[in-house]
Amino acid sequence: MLEIIKPGLETSIQDFPGRIGYWNQGFPPSGPMDSWSFRLGNILLGNDAGAPGLEAQFMGPTIKFQSDGVIALTGADMMSKLDGEAIPNWQSIAVKAGQTLVMGPAIKGSRGYLTVAGGIDAPNWLGSASTFHKASVGGLDGSAIQAGQVLPVKAGAGQAGRRVKEACRPIFASDKKWQIEAVAGPNDDWIDDAGHAQFLATEWKLEARSDRTGYRLDGPDWTFTEKATNKPPENGEFPSNIIDHGYPLGGINLCGQKPIILVNDGPSMGGFIVPYTVPSAAFWKLGQIKPNEFLCFNKVSVEEAQALRIALDDMCNETSIES
Amino acid sequence: MIFDEANFSPGGDRYITVEFGNEMNLELNFMAQGLAGALREAGTKGLVETAPCFASLLVHYEPRDISYGDMVTELKSLIGSLGSTDEIELDSRLFTFETLYLDPWTKECIDDYREKLNPDKEYDPDFVARLNGLEDRHQLVRVHSSSEYWVASLGFWPGLPFLQPLDPRAMITCPKYNPPRTWTPQGAVGMGGSASSIYPVATPGGYQLFGRTPVPIWDPNKRFDAFEGDIVLFRPGDRIKFQPVTRADYDDAERKIEDGSYLYNIVEYQRFSVRNYQSWVNKLDKSERF
Repeated sequence: MLEIIKPGLETSIQDFPGRIGYWNQGFPPSGPMDSWSFRLGNILLGNDAGAPGLEAQFMGPTIKFQSDGVIALTGADMMSKLDGEAIPNWQSIAVKAGQTLVMGPAIKGSRGYLTVAGGIDAPNWLGSASTFHKASVGGLDGSAIQAGQVLPVKAGAGQAGRRVKEACRPIFASDKKWQIEAVAGPNDDWIDDAGHAQFLATEWKLEARSDRTGYRLDGPDWTFTEKATNKPPENGEFPSNIIDHGYPLGGINLCGQKPIILVNDGPSMGGFIVPYTVPSAAFWKLGQIKPNEFLCFNKVSVEEAQALRIALDDMCNETSIES
Repeated sequence: MIFDEANFSPGGDRYITVEFGNEMNLELNFMAQGLAGALREAGTKGLVETAPCFASLLVHYEPRDISYGDMVTELKSLIGSLGSTDEIELDSRLFTFETLYLDPWTKECIDDYREKLNPDKEYDPDFVARLNGLEDRHQLVRVHSSSEYWVASLGFWPGLPFLQPLDPRAMITCPKYNPPRTWTPQGAVGMGGSASSIYPVATPGGYQLFGRTPVPIWDPNKRFDAFEGDIVLFRPGDRIKFQPVTRADYDDAERKIEDGSYLYNIVEYQRFSVRNYQSWVNKLDKSERF
């Protein structure tokens, strides 16, 4: 049982892969934004890789344990302390009833994960415990965790002292510039050659007004092909308007001239083109980049993006752990 | 136009967009929904889910189970097996919703927008009627409520339906708000472009508003059996009829919704045949209005 003393900036229950299968009703998958770190946290504890845990954003929560157990901290370094003693990320740690965990500000990365042996016991909403608080769905009560709540934990026998191998941990950008893979499409033919060259050459700044629904990027204006300017009127008046269509998760959605990456809680459809898509293997980087840092996009093929995803999935298992 | 052959394009490592054309045309949505249904029935390995829209279908697949190229081949073969859109038949439920047109709540919302954001904004029902050459707001109500509406897709917000009138004599168009509204009453009925919608919850919005229904299409507390355990009411391929009612009937329905005794009016025995639909449309004089 986890008693929430302070909730942090916005800490929510998430599971992996989240709420899949309801995109045609407008439900996003939600789930942890850095699912690499999240899954490793569960594997450290012998949980299913996708078991419900907590995602803390930018400023972590303070939590008092009401029972003995084993926990793991992964993802962003939040200078976490257990009863005042610093404790490391990337390893399983035994906790006693009455001890207090303080997760502080994220000094490296943006999102820290707390997993507990057994997993948090949260109800399934449409097949997932993941919180989508904008629509009051998931988690314990449809919202981020709040002070005074007690989160139940399922029975589980974790083992303390297990570590994620150094080589199997994500490496966060140290110079504020993140190399992000991008696959051209579905609407890359609406952008002209100059527009493509500029997209790949620009260091796009992540705006502060970004959240789990969308990442707004600051950079130059886009230029278009004739397809964008010569089209039936029901497409809409702006060059980037298209007849409402389904959005791929990770799509770089061009709202007027403003690119917004659609992330875990994003909209399922709308009337703007998507010239590029960030593949699933690069989502963990989106989860850890901070506002005012920079995204540099590297074009990869569909096949390369799929190979990256499979390689990442293969790292989210017991082979990444040492004792 | 409707493309001779569907376009396929990748969305990252796990999505494919299938585009059937680049205009607002019900036939394109029938193709998108027809392909979604065919995929479901084929049980293609690696298929995760689909999301049909007006003129396209988004396909979500698992790259570990099927490659991009193999999924495109599978989609092409299924499109081929659909034959002409005339052959498409879909299960389609019909929902009837009590609707108070020209209601006081959307009026209050429009007045608030005029006061705070744009004093020149014409009252939405008058604006839409004028743009479409209708006599007045009362004819707008007659025309809008005359047709069944096709749930082409759901999105923007969970459960929010994008609706197209099935009767071409009810086809009207209008621009969206610019700038958008900061709030909209739950249950507001309105339209933008040629699409109508119902706001599932109070959200910002850009559609022109002219009515309100008390009937929930969003039920997080699972109070009503009509949702069949789901939180949202509709699926693509459903149909909706807006039934104009008096304020007294509206209040009566609202009371029953509050105490949980409200009965959803849903017809479930019908299949939608594109052939039958097209032959009916071809008989109509599309210049007529109700």
